Amino acid sequence: DSHIQYERVGADVTMKCGSMDWDAAVTWTANGTDIDESHLNGSYLILKNVDLTQSGQYSCYEGSSWHLKYQTYLRVGTPPKEPVLMCRSNNYPKGFYCSWHLPTPTYIPNSFNISVIHGTKEMVCEKDIYPKNRCHIRYLQLFSTVKYKVTLTVTNALGKNSTTLTFDEVAIVKPDPPESVVAKPVPNNPRRLEVSWQNPSSWPDPESFPLKFFLRYRPLILDQWQHVELSDGTSHTITDAYAGKEYIIQVAAKDNDIGTWSDWSVAVHATPWTEEPKHLTTEAQVTETTSASTSSFMPPPTTKICDKGAVVGSGAVAVCWTAGLVLAAYGVLFI
Amino acid sequence: MAAADSPSAALQRRDLCSRGIRLAGKMRSDVIDLLDTYVERQGLDASASVVTVEGVPVAAVERWDEQTGTQRLLENLAAYRAFRVLLAQMLEEHREQLGDADTALGRALAAVLLQVSAFAYHLEELLRLESRGPPSEEGTAPPPVPHLGLFERKLRGLGVLRELAQWAVRSARDLRQLTKPSLGSSSAPSWAESP
Repeated sequence: DSHIQYERVGADVTMKCGSMDWDAAVTWTANGTDIDESHLNGSYLILKNVDLTQSGQYSCYEGSSWHLKYQTYLRVGTPPKEPVLMCRSNNYPKGFYCSWHLPTPTYIPNSFNISVIHGTKEMVCEKDIYPKNRCHIRYLQLFSTVKYKVTLTVTNALGKNSTTLTFDEVAIVKPDPPESVVAKPVPNNPRRLEVSWQNPSSWPDPESFPLKFFLRYRPLILDQWQHVELSDGTSHTITDAYAGKEYIIQVAAKDNDIGTWSDWSVAVHATPWTEEPKHLTTEAQVTETTSASTSSFMPPPTTKICDKGAVVGSGAVAVCWTAGLVLAAYGVLFI
Repeated sequence: MAAADSPSAALQRRDLCSRGIRLAGKMRSDVIDLLDTYVERQGLDASASVVTVEGVPVAAVERWDEQTGTQRLLENLAAYRAFRVLLAQMLEEHREQLGDADTALGRALAAVLLQVSAFAYHLEELLRLESRGPPSEEGTAPPPVPHLGLFERKLRGLGVLRELAQWAVRSARDLRQLTKPSLGSSSAPSWAESP
């Protein structure tokens, strides 16, 4: 006789050895290991204040014959706490999905039941195969002022709990972030960065349901973001970038009329175009190049600080470099 | 009058639709502000649920994406003509309640009524461009004002404004559909088809 037995953490559990009398001589094992007689009351096994580590297979054998008389699988767990439920439409106007989870594990199997009511109509929420804790609903109506009521009930052998969300069609609309964000320097423009992106692929009809976008950018060395809201188009040119500074850029999307902003897109980095320094024409360099290899002197980009506009003539380059090193040292102090 | 499908008619149509979308957006924004004012001045709970109000055109629609262009225009026009009457009734009731006091609510109601009238006219222009012309309003009596208590009238007003806000969203979407090139199938939002 074998079955599963569910008990709450902290409970006292008494197991009978099947139909054996109380005073029968028996041996109990837990996962194949003999249980000490101190846990027995006659032939009953007593487990006080059970914890999760006591989950396992418990078997009872008749004393002399070692016949298996009773077997049970003890699962120690907890009744479910109120589940966390979220509903969102990232593919408006097709439909929405709801997903859920338990705030703390129960350690025993749970079943979930979701009901969706729109006015007086019960709608079917089709469960996704993956992830398991998600289902989706197709909108049967659009532009309805009647709210949706979604109730999730979670049940296990030790209890049940539920939560309800009530919302209208537009409140849960939140697109996925824009995709394929690309930022590039603009040749010959030390203060510009060209940013482009695409509509999220989950948004089914951007022509009929256009998205607007929010772009934010800042140089890595500063904390403050600049923001630009764009009502159409999937590109923008930043025109006030600090020359030579690496930027971090992100984009978010929102339906033009309803709902909330998406999360920020994956961040991209870009540095505006900077002019390559002119070759030095001092005597020292001529001497160097006549004995050295044919490669020309090219300072690494990260050390280039001087703007094209700030430098006049090749003679000023050496001065600029000295100033640049001083500024770099100054900058490091403040990062 | 230019043929419905001539290039100049198509340009006119596109222009009217674009302006209509902007009108609908502004109207929606003003209706939402009016809703806030209405709820506050009438002492209502903003989350109060209102059952379907008789005589108020419901924006909710099934198979919205399958509607033809003509259906969209006709349904929009019928709705805004009804809202014109309903808002006029609300304004009249408001004036009866408070006399001639020029309240913020009264002014907001009047401003939205003006926009609703303008939008209805805009829709009529679009239908004229289709060589179809808008249906006549002659002979259609305004719906009778139901005999309701003060609180019920306030709730009814809330229902009217909520539905109008939803219509403003739908109208922008409908007009945007009309600017899309026809796909040539019978279910596409085509200008040529009539119900």
